[in-house]
Amino acid sequence: MKKIIAMLLACMMLMCFVSCGGETPSDNPSGVPADDAKADFKVGAIYINSKNDTAGYTFAHHNGITTAMDQLGLNADTQLFIVDEVPEDKEQVLAAVDTLVGKDVDIIFGISFGYIDALEEAAAEYPDVIFSHATGYKSNETNFNNYFGRAYQARYLSGIAAGLKTLETGNNNVGYVAAYGTEYAETASGINGFALGVQAVNPEAKVFVKKLGNWADEVNESAFATELIDSFDCGVIAQHCDSAQPQIAAEKAGKFGCGYNSDMTGDAPKAHLTAAIWNWDVYYSTAMQAAMDCGTADKFVATMGSSAYYGGLKENFVDVSPLSENCAPNTDTAIAAVRELIVSGEWDVFSGVKLSIAADGTVTKADADLVDNNGNVIVAAGGASVEDSVITGTMNYFVAGVTEA
Amino acid sequence: MGLRITKRNHCPLWQKIVFYAAAIVIALLIGAVILISIGVNPLDYYYQMFTMGTVGNRIGYKTFMNYLNDFVPLALTAVALSLAFKMKFWNIGGEGQFIMGAIGAATVAFQVGPYTPMWITLILMCLAAMLLAGLYGLLAAWLKVKFNTNETLMTLMLNYVALYILTFIADTKADWNFFLQEQSTRPVFKDFSEFAAFPAIPTGGKFELNICVILTLIIGALVYIYLKYTKHGYEIGVIGDSANTARYAGMKVNRIVLRTVFFSAALIGLAAAFKVGTTGVLSTTITNDVGWTGIIVAWLAQLSTPIIFVASALISILGCGCTEANASFGQVSADFADILQGAILFLVLVADFFTRFAITRTKKGGKVNG
Repeated sequence: MKKIIAMLLACMMLMCFVSCGGETPSDNPSGVPADDAKADFKVGAIYINSKNDTAGYTFAHHNGITTAMDQLGLNADTQLFIVDEVPEDKEQVLAAVDTLVGKDVDIIFGISFGYIDALEEAAAEYPDVIFSHATGYKSNETNFNNYFGRAYQARYLSGIAAGLKTLETGNNNVGYVAAYGTEYAETASGINGFALGVQAVNPEAKVFVKKLGNWADEVNESAFATELIDSFDCGVIAQHCDSAQPQIAAEKAGKFGCGYNSDMTGDAPKAHLTAAIWNWDVYYSTAMQAAMDCGTADKFVATMGSSAYYGGLKENFVDVSPLSENCAPNTDTAIAAVRELIVSGEWDVFSGVKLSIAADGTVTKADADLVDNNGNVIVAAGGASVEDSVITGTMNYFVAGVTEA
Repeated sequence: MGLRITKRNHCPLWQKIVFYAAAIVIALLIGAVILISIGVNPLDYYYQMFTMGTVGNRIGYKTFMNYLNDFVPLALTAVALSLAFKMKFWNIGGEGQFIMGAIGAATVAFQVGPYTPMWITLILMCLAAMLLAGLYGLLAAWLKVKFNTNETLMTLMLNYVALYILTFIADTKADWNFFLQEQSTRPVFKDFSEFAAFPAIPTGGKFELNICVILTLIIGALVYIYLKYTKHGYEIGVIGDSANTARYAGMKVNRIVLRTVFFSAALIGLAAAFKVGTTGVLSTTITNDVGWTGIIVAWLAQLSTPIIFVASALISILGCGCTEANASFGQVSADFADILQGAILFLVLVADFFTRFAITRTKKGGKVNG
């Protein structure tokens, strides 16, 4: 009994102590000069994996955040607060938000899709803090936005590299190892963008997609690439999955490939052509600058101009990694020409205008229907590009020439 | 001259306290060496850790509420596990039983919640969670008494069966799957907090005490009385010492094993009901590893119910405190809490050894000293 009483006393003491801490007033100066605002600016981040990762998704975001802070003259050692290894669990995400708000951060980046509901709730609970959610679709008019990029544009460019390679090798079959298929617009738009890039060079080319059904499955990423090579006679392997395993499998089989997320030339030096990559720092520096400029958190979305940031090649948010020596001749010329068309806004991937790219890299435009692989016309010849909301939300088909293997 | 291990007849309380305190201090020193090696001042780090970052924190009350939400399922699970451990029934299946309890509670919340008052829903959730988790534990116990299977392996493997059932529910969008949001294209668990949320007791300030904290303390006290002062508790102790003695004394050992394991697993299910009744949503990481950490806590406390509460409180401080401190120290990742926890457990077990045995010097050919 004595023990229980002692325990209860200890608990009560702890509670008193904590509630004292809770009543400490926050110092929240308003109307401070710009330099002070910069020195006081604090960034929070919630990661799905470890902040000490050296490759992969979390690494790419961490790298983007620290690079952006360097560019803006912020000190990542003292002004960046991270809660890492947070699973897609509402309670744990909300606890991570509490931790960061307790550190008086001005903006919180959540990098994983499954944080979506927790961040929506947190944005309502803490209106004086900005919340910014990668890959999500929820937002509000004041302190909560989401951000993602036009990866399909980078995919199209890597498709050109793959297409020129098919012409060089004389093998029209291209493989694509994908985490998911038409059920997610993100994977479907990536596959379609890539396939259209391949077909712009080689109209005879076929793209065979093998679906993993989950993320970060290294064993099957390798096995599926090998199957595409052995059973479907694919000469180039593209991918939308976590690791460089498909590229490594392509190298083992003496084939070629296009990676994703990071330059995979180091992983498969004899096979890799170029990878579709993200420059997350582009968004992060834009968002941090807006957060410093907007004065109060509720003006963040207005300062950003939109509650959904959707950058592409034009903003340099997505790109292709430096072309490797494995690329066919004139790949650089062709990619540069198409990049110019996209960046200038003259043309975009999912439109009623088809590009034809010759082996010497020259690009010509012609009106043509955009057709899915069931023969349905998505965009009639000469028509404008499909809506962004379709690309991010409802693109649930593959374009003609794509087959699920 | 050599060294010899001898059994202690008696170890005074002050000596035990010194041993255990030394174990924790040494574990913290090991942690300090790691922190220094990566360029972090251990004093700054430990200060943030033990205060859980609440000092000067504008939402310190929230930190403490989150801390209690971690503490409740851990303490209750550890208490539940200790029931089975006292009988030397190695229930490693806390994770699986917790998951089954969570699924049971969430099912009631979705299916019954919209039609009944919230307090009835909450009670039904607790009962459903206890029943489902209890039966899940009972399965391993029944296999043991019927076929003499190894309960360690059985309960361990059943953890994964439960986890993959939950993962299946989490990943499968289908008409029958009422656990997921209908409107989201990707599978996301649906919130049920509007039908089922445990009430919080206002304390005047912003801090609100979740009623589950009080309930857990009451249950802890009841389990303490149950083990110490009831016939059932006595039977559990006798079986733990020797099943054959219990049989000789005329106890129905199989029945007691089945009953106690059901009770143990049901309490873990209750912990799960408290958890989902607080979070209002399922997740594939709903257990927060309490099925594993609970084993550590139960052993740290040497299966003593009051000390389990103290150990749970400390281990939860470690977990929450490390998260708070890690946010400020960029070099330290979430794994540091696991290192510290492992070091503390290992060294407390070493200390435990020294409370029972003494190492004495022996002179050549001489007599054992002490």
